[in-house]
Amino acid sequence: MRAGKDDLGDEGLAKVAVVSKTRIIDSDVHPWINGDIEGLLPYMSGAWRQRFEGRLRLPDHPLRPPLAGATSIRRDARPPGGGAGGSDPLFMKEDLLDRYNIEFAVLSSIQAGKLVTLPNTDEATTLARAFNDYFMNEWLVVDSRYRLAMCVAAHDPLEAAKEIRRIGNEEGIVAVFLPLLNILMGNRHYYPIYEAAEECGLPILIHPTGTEGGFQTSVAFAGGIPSTYIERHTVFPEVAMGNIASMVFEGVFVRFPALQVVAAEFGYGWAPHMMWRMDQNWREFRREVPWIEHEPSKFVLDNIRFTSQPVEEPEREEYLLQILEMVHADRTVVFSTDYPHWDNDSPKNTFRRVPEPMKQRIFYDNAAELYGLGTLAEA
Amino acid sequence: MKHRVGHIGEIPDREALIVNVDGRSIGVFKVDSRLYAVRNVCPHKQAPLCRGTVGGTMLPSKPGELRYGLEGRVLKCPWHGWEFDLATGECLFGISGRRVKTYPVEVRDDQVYVEVGSTPS
Repeated sequence: MRAGKDDLGDEGLAKVAVVSKTRIIDSDVHPWINGDIEGLLPYMSGAWRQRFEGRLRLPDHPLRPPLAGATSIRRDARPPGGGAGGSDPLFMKEDLLDRYNIEFAVLSSIQAGKLVTLPNTDEATTLARAFNDYFMNEWLVVDSRYRLAMCVAAHDPLEAAKEIRRIGNEEGIVAVFLPLLNILMGNRHYYPIYEAAEECGLPILIHPTGTEGGFQTSVAFAGGIPSTYIERHTVFPEVAMGNIASMVFEGVFVRFPALQVVAAEFGYGWAPHMMWRMDQNWREFRREVPWIEHEPSKFVLDNIRFTSQPVEEPEREEYLLQILEMVHADRTVVFSTDYPHWDNDSPKNTFRRVPEPMKQRIFYDNAAELYGLGTLAEA
Repeated sequence: MKHRVGHIGEIPDREALIVNVDGRSIGVFKVDSRLYAVRNVCPHKQAPLCRGTVGGTMLPSKPGELRYGLEGRVLKCPWHGWEFDLATGECLFGISGRRVKTYPVEVRDDQVYVEVGSTPS
């Protein structure tokens, strides 16, 4: 009569999963290192271990999610052996990859995203490198379905470019996670990073770092400082909007035509508006940015990808299909769970009413092309 | 039909004993000696609701004012944090019209029984 520990919630899911053959690549999965910097010490020199003596925790934004434990990590995703949800690659393999038959999961460390709170360039650069070595040694070797969005510290773009060239051609590395400082992405500051990423064929992945509006070096929100978690979580998309406008009009995709940018967890319901507005403004103000030789929305369709989670929940379900059409989701949207965060989407009950050809593009094909993964890439 | 799900002593305080009754995953809770049985599927995104937390919540109030209440009556989903009334299964304070199924529970001779309908709901 007792249920085993693992067959709980999927009872409900099983009912709705009408034997879908959809293949899945998950573009937004978050591993965790117990103890923050403490867990990274084996990946640092003795001198750097001394340097971090007594300050082994990375700072949290003071406005926490009003959930159990004030953490964004699902409490039911805690590994049986202890530690935080997302800290055990073997448990995640069972709880995510095996359970949903995910072919590849792209790991990005939001914990590493907190590097943008550090005012010290050498510290951020050293930690970024330690994060990468940790995940290559402790995660990528566990299961070849794990792939890594390696992280870089934007504080020193030349060192970041070196780091990309150091490991960017390894098989397990499929993207560069760029935690943003309060410098818009069209700024030349970042160009050495784009150059190295383009050279290695890696997309740049941006994601909320969770530090926005909380630290002087972190991305600032438009208009002022949100005062609650609900507020700051609601306005994350404005970070992507500002950065997309910046990249497009500064000509990043003219300078780096093969560069792909993944906007992870920023939503996409706003993207049609953004594209229309950019095009409208281009007709009016093209002379200000004469290097933009076609409608700017084309850069979004060609060079930018949006992850699906958290899937929009509009007033009427058909609106979701309309939004997907407007944003050309068959090219631009890649499926993601955001496991093990509280707002994760399960592959079994996401986009259930999306027509099969588009669904296949979102769940697999778009990501396979983006990261050069899977059988599509071989064909 | 009433199903025996275990001895009263097996039900932890404020943590669900998760049982399977006729193919339904159900969480049985004991809060201050009151018993509740709730379907272990969140009506929002089918999360394992009963692995969430039991506590109270902030009651509707004026801006800037905080009033905590319903201690021991609120089940909070471990995923999106939707809050349900443990006793009725209703979403609290109109966040959604959806509700989670709850079942009558009774204790006889220290054995706990959950009553479920004949077809899985």
